Amino acid sequence: MFSLISSMRSVLVRQQNVDKLRSLHTTPLCEAARKGTREKARKKKVKVEVKKVGFIPHNQRDKKVNLQRQNLHFDDSWKQVPQDNVYVLKYYRWPVYTVAEAIQCHRETHHPSIYNVPNAPLNVEIELDMQAEKKNRFVDNFQRMAMIPHKFDHGEERKILVFTKGNEEISEARQAGASLVGGIELIKDITNGELLLSDYQFVIAHPNILPELIALRGLMKRKFPNPRSETLGTNLAEMIERFSNGISYTATKDEHQQDFGFISTSVGTLDMDTTKLEENLRSLLNDVNSVRPKREGEHFIKRVLLKSPPSSERLKIDAFKYIPEFYVKTSNKTSAKSNEALDQEDESSEKQQAIAAQ
Amino acid sequence: MLKTWSCSAINLLKSTATLQQQVRTTFVLKRKYDPLLHKTNEKPRKLRAKHFIYELVEDTNIKRRPNIEVVLKTYVEGVGDKGDVVSVRPNFAYNKLLLPGLAVYKTDENLTLYAKTEEDAKVVSHSSAFAQRTVNVIERFSLSVVMNKDHPWVIEPWHIKASLRKAGIHCPEECITMPEERIEGPDFNKEGKEFYCTITVNNLEKARLRCRIHHWSTDPSDRLPYTPEYWKMPPEPLFGNESSGENVETKVEEK
Repeated sequence: MFSLISSMRSVLVRQQNVDKLRSLHTTPLCEAARKGTREKARKKKVKVEVKKVGFIPHNQRDKKVNLQRQNLHFDDSWKQVPQDNVYVLKYYRWPVYTVAEAIQCHRETHHPSIYNVPNAPLNVEIELDMQAEKKNRFVDNFQRMAMIPHKFDHGEERKILVFTKGNEEISEARQAGASLVGGIELIKDITNGELLLSDYQFVIAHPNILPELIALRGLMKRKFPNPRSETLGTNLAEMIERFSNGISYTATKDEHQQDFGFISTSVGTLDMDTTKLEENLRSLLNDVNSVRPKREGEHFIKRVLLKSPPSSERLKIDAFKYIPEFYVKTSNKTSAKSNEALDQEDESSEKQQAIAAQ
Repeated sequence: MLKTWSCSAINLLKSTATLQQQVRTTFVLKRKYDPLLHKTNEKPRKLRAKHFIYELVEDTNIKRRPNIEVVLKTYVEGVGDKGDVVSVRPNFAYNKLLLPGLAVYKTDENLTLYAKTEEDAKVVSHSSAFAQRTVNVIERFSLSVVMNKDHPWVIEPWHIKASLRKAGIHCPEECITMPEERIEGPDFNKEGKEFYCTITVNNLEKARLRCRIHHWSTDPSDRLPYTPEYWKMPPEPLFGNESSGENVETKVEEK
């Protein structure tokens, strides 16, 4: 009892003291330092970007593996250019073939008298410099469908679902080769559950049916038609043809070296005509070039190699016959480029003038 | 002492950004704190301790030395022929060319002295600096010529050319000389047996290339078992007798 009273008294006393403490300002009212000091401290605090690391098993967590990796970008400019007609390849720079020569080399090895695979697919390996406009920023991985003039059997199953109003357009789409064409009835079927969206890899739509299609947006997610991926547009036949026959390719960055990107696709088979293969390759390169970051004076496509299984030979070709080597701003005409680039650049400047005239 | 030193200091201080003449210094330094300015024809201000604090601009010891040009007196493999003016690393030039007397420094007199005469031009013993190296590589080669196991074939120069390209040697078809006898197949008696081709480098040097026939099947399950390090195995000649099987043209004797 006595202790209780004493404790209550001390509490009261403490409270009084607390009041007193509160009224007495021993430190400045606001604790902030001078503005200059604050700025300095803020600048010193450099933001550390926390990298998201996936799950690491417990026995590999603390291991500090410090590997010095080789630069994946191949550079043999220090090597000599061969002067003789017969030479050992390892001492000199890689020979650059024309597409026709490279295809002929592959045809020789795949001849019936050697490998006997005359219909082997002709694969293209493209190495990219994935650095974006700013330093330490890189282009994301992308997946695109390149339209090619001469179709070939790519061995993939591509079912296309087309949404459009109007009988004309429906029949046109059917002729082009879509697996299923429809309008509002089709949308209703999907919402009911009679039709599965997962059966179809690609969804193409005409803008006239867009308001009704928004109802399916949640179901479709990535597959929803949008002009960026060229699944939404007026020319249905062209889009259908592109998605059913085009070359599907993905550009992936290397996990350790972020500025190295790699594309591996097939542009046809060896028994196709050489000119057709060349044109397919040209359209593929143009498609890759359309996504290039706007860095002046830098390469995007570094190397293009032609490969054909079962042979492990990689034959380097000159990609800059088909696409400009460097990105050039249309106003700037002074940087070094190939003739193709000059023509392209003249065209684009003419277009700009035409637009300005309008 | 101080005067002369300060006189030289005047010249240096006139233009702080550029040097008026090239100076052979190992370490190129830069003043950290600019010395005080003075008017023309006045005595320069006294330099204090802080004016003797320098920052390193360049350490010429670690910089790569530029190549020097030398004129070769004789043919040197991998470098060039007599009379060639070659730009090589200084260390290589001193130790491997100048000291053994295979080359001299490039001057006008030396250029004329060691230029290729008409007699030398007639007697062409080496077509290029690296032709001999290529010949050496080809001579050591055991080329595996892969032919089909099921489809009938006759060996032609383009088969050899394709096999060489796979093995890492670039060789156009016209440089390959096949043996006179026809080699047909598929023939399992010829499996693993050697025949010789002649490769002509730059229309001059000739090298004998050993080729082994290997039968390959498109179907993986149908292929012959792999003999490890087959190139180390002693070869069997294809045409029975080695002297009859060889179709070698004598190499051009090096002078």
